Amino acid sequence: MSQSSDTQKDLLVKGNHDFASVTRLISDIPQQKTPAWWYIAFGISNILLAMLLGMVILLIWNGIGVWGLNQPVGWGWDITNFVWWVGIGHAGTLISAILFLFRQGWRTAINRFAEAMTIFAVMCAGLFPAIHVGRIWAIYWIFPLPNSMQLWPNFNSPLLWDVFAVATYFTVSTLFWYVGLIPDLATMRDKVKGFYSKIAYGVFALGWTGSNRHWQHYEKAYMILAGLATPLVLSVHTIVSFDFAVSIIPGWHTTIFPPYFVAGAVFSGFAMVLTLMIITRKLYHLEDIMTIDHIEKMNIIILVTGNMVGFAYAMEFFIAWYGGVEYEKFAFINRAFGPYAWAYWIMITCNVVAPQFFWVKKFRRHIGLTFFLSIVINIGMWFERFVITVTSLAQDFLPSSWGYFSPTYVDVLTYVGTFGLFFTFFLLFLRFLPMVAISEVKGVMPQADPAYYRNNQKH
Amino acid sequence: MKPDIESNLPTESLSFPEGRQLARIFLPAGMIALILTLSGIFFNAERFFYSWLTGFTFIASILLGALFFVMVQHVTRSSWSVVLRRIPETISYQLILLPVFFIPILFGMEYLYEWIRPERIATDELTQHKLPYLNFPFFILRNILYFIVWGFLGYKLYKNSIALDHSGDLSLDKKQRVLSAPGILLFALTVAFASFDWMMSMDSHWFSTMFGVYYFSMSFQAALALIVIITLFLIKKTAFSKIINQAHIHDLGALLFGFTVFYAYIAFSQFLLIYYANIPEETLWYYYRFEGSWIYLAYLFLIGRFVLPFILLLNKRAKSNHALLTGVSIWILFLNFLEMFWIIIPILHKGAISVHWLDVASFVGFLCLSIGFFFYLLAQNSLIPKKDPLLAESLKKH
Amino acid sequence: MTPSSNTYGILAEFKNPADLMDAAASVRDAGYTRFDVFSPFPIHGMDDAMGLKPSKLGWIVLIHGIIGLLGGIALQVWSMDIAYPVHISGKPYLNFPAFVPVTFALVILLSAFGTFFGLFFLSKLPKLHHPIFHSNHIERATDDGFFLCIESKDPLWDKNKTIDFLTSIGASTIEQIPEESP
Repeated sequence: MSQSSDTQKDLLVKGNHDFASVTRLISDIPQQKTPAWWYIAFGISNILLAMLLGMVILLIWNGIGVWGLNQPVGWGWDITNFVWWVGIGHAGTLISAILFLFRQGWRTAINRFAEAMTIFAVMCAGLFPAIHVGRIWAIYWIFPLPNSMQLWPNFNSPLLWDVFAVATYFTVSTLFWYVGLIPDLATMRDKVKGFYSKIAYGVFALGWTGSNRHWQHYEKAYMILAGLATPLVLSVHTIVSFDFAVSIIPGWHTTIFPPYFVAGAVFSGFAMVLTLMIITRKLYHLEDIMTIDHIEKMNIIILVTGNMVGFAYAMEFFIAWYGGVEYEKFAFINRAFGPYAWAYWIMITCNVVAPQFFWVKKFRRHIGLTFFLSIVINIGMWFERFVITVTSLAQDFLPSSWGYFSPTYVDVLTYVGTFGLFFTFFLLFLRFLPMVAISEVKGVMPQADPAYYRNNQKH
Repeated sequence: MKPDIESNLPTESLSFPEGRQLARIFLPAGMIALILTLSGIFFNAERFFYSWLTGFTFIASILLGALFFVMVQHVTRSSWSVVLRRIPETISYQLILLPVFFIPILFGMEYLYEWIRPERIATDELTQHKLPYLNFPFFILRNILYFIVWGFLGYKLYKNSIALDHSGDLSLDKKQRVLSAPGILLFALTVAFASFDWMMSMDSHWFSTMFGVYYFSMSFQAALALIVIITLFLIKKTAFSKIINQAHIHDLGALLFGFTVFYAYIAFSQFLLIYYANIPEETLWYYYRFEGSWIYLAYLFLIGRFVLPFILLLNKRAKSNHALLTGVSIWILFLNFLEMFWIIIPILHKGAISVHWLDVASFVGFLCLSIGFFFYLLAQNSLIPKKDPLLAESLKKH
Repeated sequence: MTPSSNTYGILAEFKNPADLMDAAASVRDAGYTRFDVFSPFPIHGMDDAMGLKPSKLGWIVLIHGIIGLLGGIALQVWSMDIAYPVHISGKPYLNFPAFVPVTFALVILLSAFGTFFGLFFLSKLPKLHHPIFHSNHIERATDDGFFLCIESKDPLWDKNKTIDFLTSIGASTIEQIPEESP
């Protein structure tokens, strides 16, 4: 095996890098002059962020009626966006935690990046339920705080489970991300020239020296955090699915929801990682680290999770008929052929048909196609949540109270605005932090294994 | 190209001819137990069919879980598992026997499945609604399809692997992957519908979209348990101990731990959603399985199949402790049978646990026969896929 | 004060992870206990080479997890059944299946805090300063340098002998690290 290092084939890092050149490749990025495109992108993101702020103020000032919500559709784009953003976040945790536990060395090239995406996506997600409560000044009621009325939040409510799950998820993801960053912040501290930047990186590096007495605890901590994040990521989307599935609304109450939501989350999250990664590796010339092999592996995961989602659609449809419950049957027929059929078929095309391209190796390694499909999949997954949320509410038990949901401009602009929030943070991350886990990439290079030198000496 | 460490390992010659002696014990024992079970048809036909179905779904779950294990290893090109892949390959090869075990069920359809009873069809509107799916010819057709898919996959994956041992033809390795990728998709669909057909449709009103996943989660946990038991047994008995190191065992232990959690997750999610919505057409299934003393079994699964293994295997060192792993695995395997029992028997015996000696005979029969056949097959071939291109990497695992 | 009394230790550089690991094993075998190695990434097998005891972090996390478990159950049992019981969708006050998600989240949250703060507790971080930073080379330990430092607090400490010893096991550069800023 050690001899295979002569060939480029099996290597995770391409292009004959040594430790110093890997450090340089990544730590130089925050030290370079800020590229012009960054200012443009950051400016656009800031405008969108300002717009989001305006929309949120408008909403809080007027109440949630400014959205298209009304009887019978009380959950519309807000919940759709919430689930969509949380789902996107899940890929980051999957890459950083689950692939770590499965010892997938290739994850090191993208985990930092994907974890950052997770944190910012969860921020965007958390915004929606928070502003949807209406009276946001009383939002602290969702926490179990002693109060003068001696009331407590209802722990039987899946919405409260969500509060705990998403808050925990955000906290744990951030801790995990930060623990991973510490050695690289120390690298930055030792590399940057400026006095203030040295202090800034130095403070956050917490005095990291690379001591093995630290590495020992660090590795253990990393392993434990990965072990904690893995069931957590499954539980978060499971609990999100409980928001729907513990009810008795037709189309929402079905037992396959938990694993189906988790698969869908991973599916859309990987697509989002790919979208961002394909742009970033180009802009920052990181093709040696984020290689085409990574893209192929991620496409395989997209294919697998896409088919899991397809499997769940099939099960739902079959059981809706098999169960023989009238409302359930209607809900599914109505999804496919009712007033929202257009959304349903967009969903099917994007989520079930589109990933089938990835059966072919050539397509899996085609960057242009991957980029296109990754966007298609994210559109599809947004529509999935839209279909689930809105079709079931718009036409439920009583035909006399059926309705049709149309978003207002506030709905649309709030959603678009969250991209401003996301990209503002994401661009700041790209600009100031090492976007690849430097120490981890070094750790998976063949030179990092002491056995590498022993074998080479022998031959 | 071959690293030095390989030369002093007995990879070329490692086999387990003593397996024949074990087969000579287990095969007749299994046969006798199954014949005893079959004899039940003469004095308690109803109970016989229920016991048989319990044993059948139990053994099918293990064989299917092993098949899934093999396919996943191929698709992910996983190297760590190569050294022990012959074990699940040999287990899942037995899927070609599954249709034989299924035949008795065809004679007991009227006992087992209410949707086939004419008086039920005549009076029950829902059963009439399901007639296009739940009818005897289509039931048989579907099952033939399942057995073809599983038999083909189990047979091919095993035979290709053996052929690779002899010829060293690396195109076979690629074939395994080409087979496994669509194989997993077919597996998911067939296992889900098989679980609907065999178990869910026994109560012709009840439905749960998760049921297929639930059956799979039990299958995979049980299959992992069996793989652990056999691996540790072979380490004790053969030079396998030189090939498999603690790191391999630890990974197996970690998988068993992980899929114990997965089982709990799926089983709990299914229960919670049905319990929470509290709609009569769904809750009835749990109602019968929680009625009277049956509830104790439900608690046993919660404690015994999740909490206990979870606590015992939480520690890193515990995941490679041979004695502990063997104990936990045998326990899980037994509980897997018991859970099939808990799913199937309450339809016959409402309100109180009822154990019949036919259940025991069926359990012993299916398990012994499968183990006997396993060792019979294992004895004929190398214990490891010795020409697998990833073997060298697998041996080096630390 | 003699110059050696305020020497923090001797820092030796090695060429690659393999040499560093061999060096660590030699230092351990020579009987030194107050020494440390510095590398840009964790080196597989180094803990054994240095003779480190397994990390105790797991136990800290376990204790936090148990606090999360008991605390989560206590919070829900108390607020739903004792403090202000309310009938909700025909379920019992002690609706244990419904308590699982929040309890689970709290177990994970507390365990993660335990891991995070336990890591810093065990590695005595954060630290604003450390004598090792007086070295002219140590900054390469976060890049591509592999170092070993024997501290002057070691019972076997003898400056010249230590330097000779480190040279004999293949150090490429040797540097004295002062305790105070030079």
